[in-house]
Amino acid sequence: MQPSPLANPLATVAQLEESGSRLDGIPADLENSIRFAGARLTQAAGILLRLPQEVIAQAIVVFMRFWVGPEGGSLAEFGARQVSAASMYLTTKLSAYPKSPRSIVNVYTYLDSLPSTYTEPESLQDTSKADAYYVSEGTYQARRMELFETEQRVLKTLGFQVQVVLPYTLCITYLQALDAFSHPRATELAKRAFAHLNTALLSPQLLYLTHQPPSLATAAIYLAAKEVGIKLPAVEWWEVFDTDREELGFLVVGMLSVENFVEEERARWQKNKVPMTVEELEAAMQTSSNGTE
Amino acid sequence: MASRWADTEADAAEALRKKKEKEEKKRLKLRKQQAEEAAAQAALEAEARPSKRRRLSSGDDEAAEAAPSKEKEAERNLLRFEAGGWAPCRHTSNFETLNHIEEGSYGWVSRARELSTGEVVALKKVKMDLKQDGFPTTALREIALLQRARHPNIVSLHEVLSGSSPDEVVLVMEFVEHDLKTLQEDMPEPFLASEVKTLLKQLVGAVSFLHSNAILHRDLKTSNILLSNRGHLKIADFGMARYIPPPNAPLTQLVVTLWYRAPELLLGAEDYGAEIDMWSFGCIFGELLSKSPILQGKNEVDELSLIFALCGLPSEKSWPGFYRLPNARSLKIPRDTGARAAGQIRAKFPFLTNAGAELLSSLLSLNPEHRPTAEEVVNHSYFKEAPKPKPMEMFPTFPSKAGQEKRRRRASPNAPKRGDGHGVQNVDFSSIFASRDDEETGGGFQLKMV
Repeated sequence: MQPSPLANPLATVAQLEESGSRLDGIPADLENSIRFAGARLTQAAGILLRLPQEVIAQAIVVFMRFWVGPEGGSLAEFGARQVSAASMYLTTKLSAYPKSPRSIVNVYTYLDSLPSTYTEPESLQDTSKADAYYVSEGTYQARRMELFETEQRVLKTLGFQVQVVLPYTLCITYLQALDAFSHPRATELAKRAFAHLNTALLSPQLLYLTHQPPSLATAAIYLAAKEVGIKLPAVEWWEVFDTDREELGFLVVGMLSVENFVEEERARWQKNKVPMTVEELEAAMQTSSNGTE
Repeated sequence: MASRWADTEADAAEALRKKKEKEEKKRLKLRKQQAEEAAAQAALEAEARPSKRRRLSSGDDEAAEAAPSKEKEAERNLLRFEAGGWAPCRHTSNFETLNHIEEGSYGWVSRARELSTGEVVALKKVKMDLKQDGFPTTALREIALLQRARHPNIVSLHEVLSGSSPDEVVLVMEFVEHDLKTLQEDMPEPFLASEVKTLLKQLVGAVSFLHSNAILHRDLKTSNILLSNRGHLKIADFGMARYIPPPNAPLTQLVVTLWYRAPELLLGAEDYGAEIDMWSFGCIFGELLSKSPILQGKNEVDELSLIFALCGLPSEKSWPGFYRLPNARSLKIPRDTGARAAGQIRAKFPFLTNAGAELLSSLLSLNPEHRPTAEEVVNHSYFKEAPKPKPMEMFPTFPSKAGQEKRRRRASPNAPKRGDGHGVQNVDFSSIFASRDDEETGGGFQLKMV
């Protein structure tokens, strides 16, 4: 049977209940922190690689899929940075914008050289520490091999389910169907809706792994219309786009809650770095267990 | 005397058991009914209670208005989208290899059986060159496209396996008995006109499906087209295929096997499209009619000259963009008029109907813009006129090379042919009993298993 061009494979209940990392004794809140930082890293790397958001979004979803379920990848075995790089590499391979291993390694090394995970944007203008992200030939070869091996593991862990259907185009189609573009502030509305779709990619609730694109697009439009103050039809228009009220409500709350989550993360890590490699994670777990003793 | 079948004691026991069973069922049913009633009651109560979830935000007057109307209306049917889930690759040890089929540039193909279900499948092992770019892009594209392109006339990908060594990746696909190339080589006669139509109809259906899903196959040829024993055609090998990229992205010209490669590719076009698949389709059309590839060029230059010989010469009128193609500048087209410029297609396929010849000539148009789309071919009158496409169930069957079947040896000699009658008069029968005397006796009866 032809799979619906509007649908993605979703995570099962069993996959959402357990994860490889938690089985390896990594606390759920730490796992959430690292997963969020990893998704954010993927977004940043994608921007530096000058990729369209469409490709970046796919890479983030692949990255998120990898960690889910008892048979999913574990942070005790794979660093979030290497999985992010591998997800990015294999997604660009399937897209019209392939990137060389060299570019991927360079970009990830640069992002790793930033002093803290939640950096102020101004510090990105500082180019005086160029040798902090210089990649020697030896490092490059090692990173490249790591990239290829991780790519294999991501593919096999996902059973090669690396395609992602995104809600962005649907979102525009739905706005057209709602005749929203006749409104003078329609651009603002569409921009807000897209912003919510981008935010949802990073959600610790894994919204792209639990909901289909039509519902994501509908919830983003609902939320954006409320914020921009554009009145949508006074009927249950979301049902036209195959989203019921309950799912809509859940997604709206999910999308809105990301902001609080990000604030908490920022406060939690302050000027520190979220552990993005296996070694960093082990060190972090060590110090936290020492601290409680 | 009681019948020996009648065992009253056992009968009684059986009757009792049955009665008990019935009672048990009745009780269960009643209990279930009660449970259902209770659930319905609870649901009713829940419905009556103002639900917290309903209100998405305070001061949401639209929602408050809409809520009561929903109560009245029956539950609406919303579309649910399903696309399964994901799980890690299974191990190759779930399958046992039966025999090797072929080796190509992309990998090794073999016939295998799944141990738990006994299903026969084709396994395609991906050739891995990890040093260069990691997992081969062609294999990744093939998997991605096959996952999306589910169609009765496209070979289906069941799953992907991983082996014991990290760089072992195997595609599990449905096993189809023949490929058109090997089949044609073994056939004494070409396919009948009605059979060609059945094949082409299925092929163009699949190509049309691919093109409407923005997929270019880029390597259509008879060895990539499979045929089952029930006359069911399936396109295979998506190693060259890709999604049609956004406009202006340069594409590689090094696609499509030479004999099926469109002239614009040979001339170095960088922004080609679905028309190159239609050219290949035309080549396959001609090949099915004549039982051998129609444009067997030795190299690019030879291929192009064969194309011009068959299809005529391009002119500024028939193909305006022609001289702007990268490799066309070195070409000196003679200012020829008449027969050579017109092409030989009608003459080469004398048994083709007018509609068929018109279709083939249009598919083999030098100018890609003149070629019909797959959609147009599907609706072409060639498929509607007599002879009608042969029903798939009437399709002849053949021994499968990939399945290691051999042509059955004839159990009896052929019937005598007319004109062979002279044989009876001058046959020397003297040898029949000649060696009888020398035969050893006492060997006795022997049953030999061969």
